[in-house]
Amino acid sequence: MNWQGELNKYLASTYKNWVISKRNVFTLFELFFWPLVNLLSIGLLTRFLMVDESMVSFLLVGSIALTILQVAQMDVAYVLLFDMWSKSIKNTFIAPIHSRHLIFGSLFFGIMRGSVVFAILASISFYLFDFRFQAGGLIPPLIFLAGVFSMAAIIGITVCISILTFGQKADVAAWSLSGLILLFSGIYYPVDVLPFFLQVLARAIPLTYFLEYYRSIFIPGPHHLAVGLSLAALYLLLGLILFDRAIRRARRTGILLWLSE
Amino acid sequence: MSEKSVQARGICKSYKSLFGSAKTVLEGISLDIDREEIFGLLGPNGSGKTTLISIFSTLIYPEKGSLSILGLNARRDRGEIRKIINISTAKPNFPWSLTVRENLVHYGMLYGLYGLGLNRTVEDQIDAFELGEYRDVKFENLSTGLKQRLSLAKAMLNHPRLLFLDEPTTGLDPDMSAKTHDLIRRIHDEEGISVIMSTHYMPEAELLCDRIAFLRKGEVAALDTPQNLKNHLELGKRVKIAYRGLANLDALRALEGVLAVRGNPGMVDGQIDRKVARPVDGQLDGQVDKQLEILMDSNEDSLDRILKSFQDAKILDINIEEPDLEDVFLELAR
Repeated sequence: MNWQGELNKYLASTYKNWVISKRNVFTLFELFFWPLVNLLSIGLLTRFLMVDESMVSFLLVGSIALTILQVAQMDVAYVLLFDMWSKSIKNTFIAPIHSRHLIFGSLFFGIMRGSVVFAILASISFYLFDFRFQAGGLIPPLIFLAGVFSMAAIIGITVCISILTFGQKADVAAWSLSGLILLFSGIYYPVDVLPFFLQVLARAIPLTYFLEYYRSIFIPGPHHLAVGLSLAALYLLLGLILFDRAIRRARRTGILLWLSE
Repeated sequence: MSEKSVQARGICKSYKSLFGSAKTVLEGISLDIDREEIFGLLGPNGSGKTTLISIFSTLIYPEKGSLSILGLNARRDRGEIRKIINISTAKPNFPWSLTVRENLVHYGMLYGLYGLGLNRTVEDQIDAFELGEYRDVKFENLSTGLKQRLSLAKAMLNHPRLLFLDEPTTGLDPDMSAKTHDLIRRIHDEEGISVIMSTHYMPEAELLCDRIAFLRKGEVAALDTPQNLKNHLELGKRVKIAYRGLANLDALRALEGVLAVRGNPGMVDGQIDRKVARPVDGQLDGQVDKQLEILMDSNEDSLDRILKSFQDAKILDINIEEPDLEDVFLELAR
């Protein structure tokens, strides 16, 4: 098969997610309503607490990261969730595709939606709270976004693995995982405030390092970007391998059939 | 030797629950299916038809056994096999909010179609399955028949060499079923595509299938052409007699060569439905026209004995039928 056919196998998931999203009124809530509510809440809280400019940046970076993470991870998870909800998963797995086609195709759509959300939130943050996302140039926000999107892919893959392992009940994982990330990776506070064993857990989450890196532009301090990049690459690779294994297991156990009935 | 679309040897499958108990679905299925035939899988609910088709189409894996699809090893060459097969399932499901065209575009992309080729193939299938009027209708708003047609159109997107149809007319009205039969026949005859289909509609299997495998409790209970199956099982003939007058049912049942006597309509478990024919002291009331359905063996003297037992009645009509596949099914499913 030539490269265009191979490319279209990836873009099939992008296309499906795009068509479903454009017809879903909740997309507007996902892209605009909740992100704005979240950003304005945090931004106004900083006004009320009269925190300094660097702390405003610290909190807004966390708020923006969490929002983008939730949007993008859902897009990756949607690649199987939509199939599971419509009981059409059989049609997807009868086709000559690999796990990478599903994950990267849907991640691409997640990156597009996440980028739109980032642009909106960064603009509003600038006008309302004087937060300059490009303060250190364009490279830091791009690296930060790449980190958030890779984390979204890892969470999305985890949800997909859960769907193929536990079936319908895995919906819950889709909505809960980013909440755990919120707790443990220092979205609204430095991970130093966590108890020691939770700090160890936080240090195992790549997003922790990407947040520290981007925040170091606004509040100079140490960061370990290389560790974050390495962990993200490792988890992504591991996630794809485990997703492949989950698909094989689902074919062995017959769960692919049950999810279609 | 003719090329095989499927060569299966000792296929076994069981489903295990989370806590370890296993339910065996297929036990040592061995089949050779020729490339040029329409092959039918028949059997009662739970006999393993869908599981077997899902294994043949590489959607799920068998526990034991060897399988070759179109000459390719189903364990080693799954990717290649998926490129040249496709499936249309019973109760077809697709993403709800995608239209007919969008669904076909999506699945076409999954099969690596692109550009003008993708558009042309999608349009061809929309035309072939008469979906043009519904191209912009969302899947959730389609009727059962249209969903089935979309499923068949999707199954043809990659121009498969082998097509699996899992109960393709379930839920369709007779008119749509007939159209679907025509489509299946056309796909096979004109496009040279091998077809393996499961069904529990006997007339459908008799109409379409060159050979049939009856599955019962995960095993092949019988395998042959529809005609041979009927012949080999020696199911006898069905004699339908409409008459007026008296007939002694007990004597009729006791006749040599009579396998069963049924009221018609309304036979219940081999007994006359009393709403249809009301016996009086072992005899049927002679005041109204009545019908009986008598299953008899193939012995030519049996019919003579049956007719003699109606000497006190006036025979209004008599019809003798060969057994159909439904009789075979009932016999094998016992």
